[in-house]
Amino acid sequence: MISLNVNGQSYQVDVPSDTPLLWVLRDILHLTGTKYGCGIAVCWACTVLINGQADKSCDVTVGSAAGKTIITVEGLADFRLPSEPIGTKGMGQKLQEAWIAEQAPQCGYCQSGMLMQAAGLFLEQRHPSGGDINGAMKNVCVCGTYQRVKAAINRASTAV
Amino acid sequence: MNKPTISQATAVDRRKFLKVTGGFLLALTLPVATNRALADTSIPANATGTAFIRIGADESITVLVGGGEMGQGIYTGLAMGAAEELMVTWEKVKVEPLPAIASWLSAGSGGIRSRLPTFLKAGAAAREMLVSAAAQTWGVPVASCQAVNGTVKNLVTNEVLTYGQLAPLAATLPVPAAPVLTPAANYRIIGTPAARPDLVGKVNGSAKYGLDAVVPGMALGIVKHAPVMGGTLKTTPSVPSGASAVVPLGATATNPVNNAIALVSWLPGANTWGLMETMKSISSNIWNTPANAALLDSNVFKSQAMSLLGRGAPFIAEQKGNVDTAFASAARVLEMTYTLPYLPHACMEVLNCTVRMTPATAPFTACEIWAPTQAPSSVLTTVSAVTGLPKTAITVYPMFMGGGLGRKFEQDYITQAITTAMAVGRPVKLVWPRSEDMTRDQYRPMAVTRIRVALDAAGNITGWQNRHVSPSISAQRRTTPLTAHDANATEGATALPYNLPNRLIDYVQHMSPIPVGYWRSVGYSINCFAVESAIDEVALATGADPLTLRRQLLSTSTDPLAARTLAVVNAAAAAAGWETTAVPAGRARGIAVGQAFGTIVAEVAEIGVTYTGGVPTNFTVYKVACAVDCGTAVNPNSVEAQMQGGIFHGLSAAKWGELKWTAGKSSVTNFNKYRMTRLSEAPVITTTIVNSGAAMSGCGEPGVPPIAPAVANAYAKLTGVRVRDLPFFPGATMGG
Ligand code: FES
Ligand code: FES
Repeated sequence: MISLNVNGQSYQVDVPSDTPLLWVLRDILHLTGTKYGCGIAVCWACTVLINGQADKSCDVTVGSAAGKTIITVEGLADFRLPSEPIGTKGMGQKLQEAWIAEQAPQCGYCQSGMLMQAAGLFLEQRHPSGGDINGAMKNVCVCGTYQRVKAAINRASTAV
Repeated sequence: MNKPTISQATAVDRRKFLKVTGGFLLALTLPVATNRALADTSIPANATGTAFIRIGADESITVLVGGGEMGQGIYTGLAMGAAEELMVTWEKVKVEPLPAIASWLSAGSGGIRSRLPTFLKAGAAAREMLVSAAAQTWGVPVASCQAVNGTVKNLVTNEVLTYGQLAPLAATLPVPAAPVLTPAANYRIIGTPAARPDLVGKVNGSAKYGLDAVVPGMALGIVKHAPVMGGTLKTTPSVPSGASAVVPLGATATNPVNNAIALVSWLPGANTWGLMETMKSISSNIWNTPANAALLDSNVFKSQAMSLLGRGAPFIAEQKGNVDTAFASAARVLEMTYTLPYLPHACMEVLNCTVRMTPATAPFTACEIWAPTQAPSSVLTTVSAVTGLPKTAITVYPMFMGGGLGRKFEQDYITQAITTAMAVGRPVKLVWPRSEDMTRDQYRPMAVTRIRVALDAAGNITGWQNRHVSPSISAQRRTTPLTAHDANATEGATALPYNLPNRLIDYVQHMSPIPVGYWRSVGYSINCFAVESAIDEVALATGADPLTLRRQLLSTSTDPLAARTLAVVNAAAAAAGWETTAVPAGRARGIAVGQAFGTIVAEVAEIGVTYTGGVPTNFTVYKVACAVDCGTAVNPNSVEAQMQGGIFHGLSAAKWGELKWTAGKSSVTNFNKYRMTRLSEAPVITTTIVNSGAAMSGCGEPGVPPIAPAVANAYAKLTGVRVRDLPFFPGATMGG
């Protein structure tokens, strides 16, 4: 049994410890917001936060994620930066609102990865520069939503 | 987790859907507008479309929309039409997918264009019925009543009844045959940017794509095809440890030859990755390799196509004036050959399908399908063919698509999932790992195009000849050979709006064994590259400015689309500052224009080039100024998004898109070998919408074609190197 903490909830899963976290989230816990794109650590569709770091869940074994704090897109609404006190709007919600305000998603499939990557970026950099955004947002989007994703990140950066 | 977590599922239950209690359901059926070859084959000539509007006693207004939502905003566009005529605000309207039995195909960018009139008329009819119901209730003439924001107002007494209150009576009234439509000039909703209702679920993880389907007690399965294209299954392997079943899969619903297997597991802890690992333990001896495997090679295909350029009996696609005389008397002849490779669709969401048979084992009485599909109605036909069940016993739940791009039209993955569920006697979700999705695609056809241009002594174009060699998508799907040209193959090469009085466009079919399919804008994306590169080569050869030459060819043309094309070219040039803003040092601009599915798009790309050891190894696109005329833009927000999406898609394909064959195996198995543009490489795109007021046309695809020639034209200007063979940079790879 492996213990996982996902979006503040604990789960016990019985799978080989080298199973990628992605498939435990999707196939076992049915947290399907985290997406499979390539499975080989290239596209970032599977991005989640692990101990405050955006990472590719297809490239992290469930064994190594055990006991760590995992946040997926399903938990994004409750995500807040350390600087955002409880009772105020957190960065997770700011990101979701900015994404809608900019009408960023097209098919939407890559967007949970985009959002979680952006959440990780804001943990590192409260007001990311254009260069910070370029450097962090490596997610592949076949629909080509980049321009609006950039605008949404800038919007979230100044949101209160 | 013992309930299906599919929000659409309950909403589209056909029985519930048809029985509305205490409310009002209007189903209005009208002929569907078709205006292109692909639409003509996918929609029968006399096709009708039905718009469904449901008004609940709880004041809810729901519009049911068919086809499939893959990011193009069809849910929004059509519902906007209904809201417009219902005199309600856009926010008040909810959208639900239509049951497959009443659904349609999403193809040819025609979803909104061809259906909007039906939705407008349905909205107007519903409004008039609600107004009549109010007039009857109050005993006043209809003229004394007015629909206002979800209510009907008595203009004399100022009384108000809500749509919800009026719905039961309205439902008993006759449907007006010719409801009064709002003049376009008075539109409140159409033409203004509208927020898409499907986006909320796309930012909180709740939107359910096909791959997210969860059905109680379902098994998981993955597909593996014969490793060599055309290979077949020799022997079904025994079930390896770590799995529960192996199911042989036929090539199509009617083809008994197996070419794939499904590896299925319902063991505790079953997961997709576990199945992929277990699949590796199955010996490759189970496959037959086709005898011609060595010939399934990109170099062989290319030399076949090149030799077809010069011989064979071509089919004439378009002929005007006298090309022979023009070339005989030419002062100068330019001849250029352009080549494009096979391309995969590479949708972000791999192919998948979930099936539940009832009962779990034969004899079956019902079947449910959860699938990402562009063609819910075709899925219904497929399921009926494979299971033998009548269509009324089948429910298709269209799920969100993580991209469709033309691939999710096809039925192969649906057929396989049904076969698997029937064989294992339990519900199953069948998934194609990324490697299968890339290596068993139905690819955009490769193409070789030779354009010859006759010039007079003054450099005017006097003759234009375009020979196009490519596999025919439609012929490959039939057993009969072509007897005339394939309009899909030459779309974008024919019907050019330019003043080219002597022209001959012909087509030679390339019988390629690689399966080909519809890929976002198909022939247009191929032919626009050749045509708009060639026009630029003429400009360069005659010392003309590329913009001036295009203006000249358009302003002197009698083609019906010439004036609109000119306006779009001018709009893009103005937005790019072609004549007003100097190009920064080290950069160049290129322009191209194309028409697809009735929509005209011009793009000006401003690029800079990176050299490694004196050789250009990459280029940066700084800006793209895009102008689009789709007649009337229903939702400018979506039009802009579709242009951006099309430009990125076309740009990645032009720079890096390539899939090669060696001994029947694809060079691309995953995104590491299929580089895509990333955010850091994204140009700033401006979109100018030219509302010409012409007949409405679609936007999902027409943004793609002009970008490849626009960047090629800029590249030639900057480097002096004319790229005629795509991609620009073969062999590209992509890391994490
Ligand atoms: S699925 Fe994990 S990086 Fe692509
Ligand atoms: S929104 Fe479709 S892949 Fe990004």
